Amino acid sequence: MIEAAERTAPRHPSRPTKLTAGGVAIQAVIVVAAVLAVVPFLFMVMTALKSYASVINNVIWPWPPLGGEAPQFGNFAEAIQTIGWDSQWQTFLFFRYLANSVIVSLSIVTGVLVTSTMAAYALGRMELPGKQLLFVIVLITMMLPEDLTLVPKIVMMFNLRWYNTYFALIVPFLVNVFSIFLLRQFFMQIPKDLFEAALIDGMGHVRFMISIVVPLSKPALLTVALLNFIWAWDAFKWPLLATRDSNMRVLAVGLQQFMQGQGTQVHLLMAFAAMVILPVLILYFVAQRQFREGILNTGLKG
Amino acid sequence: MSVGLLLAACGPAAQPAAPTAAPAKPAEAAKPAESKPAAPAAQAAATTAPAKPAEAAKPVTVSNPPTSPEMVDAIDLTGKNVEVVYWHNRPQKDQEMLTTLLDEFSKSNPYGIKARAEIAGASYPDVYNKVSAAIQAGQPPEISVAYQNQAAFYRAQNAIIDINPFLKSKKYGLSDEDMKDYFQTFLDSDLNPQFQGERLGFPTQRSIEVMYYNADWLKQLGYNEAPKDWKTWEEAACKASDPAANKYGWAFRHDASNFASQVFSRGGRILAPDGASYVFNSEAGVETTAMIQRMFKNKCAVEIPTSERNGEQNRFAAGQVLFTFASSSGLPFYQEAVSKGSNFKWDINMLPNNGKPAVNLYGASVSIYKTTPEKELAAWLVIKFLGEKAQTTKWAVNTGYLPVRQSAKADVLNTYKADPKWGAAADSYARMFDWFQYAMVESPVAGYDPVRDLIDKEVATKAATDANADPKKLVEDATTKANAILKENAPKR
Repeated sequence: MIEAAERTAPRHPSRPTKLTAGGVAIQAVIVVAAVLAVVPFLFMVMTALKSYASVINNVIWPWPPLGGEAPQFGNFAEAIQTIGWDSQWQTFLFFRYLANSVIVSLSIVTGVLVTSTMAAYALGRMELPGKQLLFVIVLITMMLPEDLTLVPKIVMMFNLRWYNTYFALIVPFLVNVFSIFLLRQFFMQIPKDLFEAALIDGMGHVRFMISIVVPLSKPALLTVALLNFIWAWDAFKWPLLATRDSNMRVLAVGLQQFMQGQGTQVHLLMAFAAMVILPVLILYFVAQRQFREGILNTGLKG
Repeated sequence: MSVGLLLAACGPAAQPAAPTAAPAKPAEAAKPAESKPAAPAAQAAATTAPAKPAEAAKPVTVSNPPTSPEMVDAIDLTGKNVEVVYWHNRPQKDQEMLTTLLDEFSKSNPYGIKARAEIAGASYPDVYNKVSAAIQAGQPPEISVAYQNQAAFYRAQNAIIDINPFLKSKKYGLSDEDMKDYFQTFLDSDLNPQFQGERLGFPTQRSIEVMYYNADWLKQLGYNEAPKDWKTWEEAACKASDPAANKYGWAFRHDASNFASQVFSRGGRILAPDGASYVFNSEAGVETTAMIQRMFKNKCAVEIPTSERNGEQNRFAAGQVLFTFASSSGLPFYQEAVSKGSNFKWDINMLPNNGKPAVNLYGASVSIYKTTPEKELAAWLVIKFLGEKAQTTKWAVNTGYLPVRQSAKADVLNTYKADPKWGAAADSYARMFDWFQYAMVESPVAGYDPVRDLIDKEVATKAATDANADPKKLVEDATTKANAILKENAPKR
């Protein structure tokens, strides 16, 4: 009986719950912050389901029981139609943009995982002369505002003849300094003894990295993958500037179709935006446990 | 990469590279070192000139860019199969129409020119960034949309060319009849004072800043027509305001063009006619600033945050705002929004004035980049084609912009009147043609973009948010800073 009780008891028994003023305040702040974070998302989904008339007239809840309007699921189809038609693929441009977004995002994630793992391993685990200085230089590049490098990057794309190609959309993002930093922090927590044992077993750095470090770092690698996927998926300005044809554009660029001219069809814009972020949301919900672990174990937590 | 360009692309206070010299005189342009012999066919064209056959027989040499109509005449496009790429910022819907038009041009022109359009960005700043980078990379398009001040900046880098020689070319230019058909104010808006009247762009569309007003509401307030003077306008706006009910007389938008329109209508200017100095510290500038301040102090205006795109239009359509000042190209959008919103009677008018009407002329033109004489000529032929009656009519009908030719007016109006989507807005649209005679241009000089920010942040916004600020000091300080920016960006002689 005692054994059974021990088995069912929590491994880290929680402290007796005591309602303190400070605790309540903290909980209240967290709840308010969570609500504030969710409001824009809710606003987007609700607006996507409203008619243009309800949007114009600022009707917050046009559906039953407060209103008589049915949810406008047709907005999603209309948004897809509004973006236009791809005569080459004989389909709506939305699907072309979707394909490009998938290709670009997955390519960037794959590339970043490879380059970041190698760089982070070198900076975190190897004894190299000038390593600290190199690491500082790498970090400094994080401080450069994106807009400052925009024009030089475009010039490079023209000069390399990469303008309006997948190379332009992918290659400049194959190295991500934040990912290197995050992985380096994670790799540095792997005990040195492990490497020394591996050394005795005849392993070198490359094999140790592939066989030991990478499998042990799955949460961190997943975090890097997820973050880079989100960044690549959401990128707007660069894909817009680095391409010229609609068949090279990505989903985020499609959003600008609703914001031009002297009027904005907000309900269609929101319907399109909801479709654009859906894959990211699904990915996050599927991988949220590993994502959390990845952040918690890299020393980045507060 | 020049530091100046980098700064220009990323923020205010751009420092352009040294400009090229003014267009060479014909005699200079004929120097062999900077020109190449004309093709035989071109020489033949030159010999067909009616007067003085002996002189006409002289070979015409063509410099890059051509600096005289004769040089343009001498360019031979036969068999060159030139391609012209047009960078613009219109959405996919307009891109498709533009593609149709340019396909038509590609099929019908006798020179084998292939023209195509590309969306270079979602806004004018996007196109500006991309063009700036392309200039640095030596790969500009053949033509692109550019506001007059942006064109001046490109010209300062020797990247775009004067269109006048093409326009005046006997062989490829516009006839007198064509020139008369264009709205003169539209054509004049591209003559740049910083470059001795060079024509740095050519209009394919225009719009004007107008006042949208809720006619039903105005009538309820006791006014049977739109206010024609600022005093009546302010009085009506304040009568309409009821902050408790979220109703306001005016929607204040963060836009220097809004400010400029008001200054114009009070008899002032933003830039001196010779382009040598900013002059919005005039009495008209002070009055405009003071009125913005009063409108907020008396709770007669509501601020539209920059993040709320077209927020003034939505509030107007919901019946929350009596007046807005916005581009006439928004007419069809206003029509749709109001019909879906509170569905009231509305109309447009010129902004109130101090006895002398004035309207702010909007609209980017199309500029030609310095490439090769053949490509430059091909680019001009594309622009010329887009400005023809049929094309300008189609463009206006599809976008809500104004056609650039008088002969297109009737067709555009008839199309609008037959389209139920336009409703009463079609009649309002028709009235704008009478207002072109009062058109004014804000500031066609390099470096106007940072000045626009300055006017918004340091004049209009400060007036709206600080009831104690001195309007005269605000415009004086801003004008001083604007003139420093003007000096910094002025072409180096």
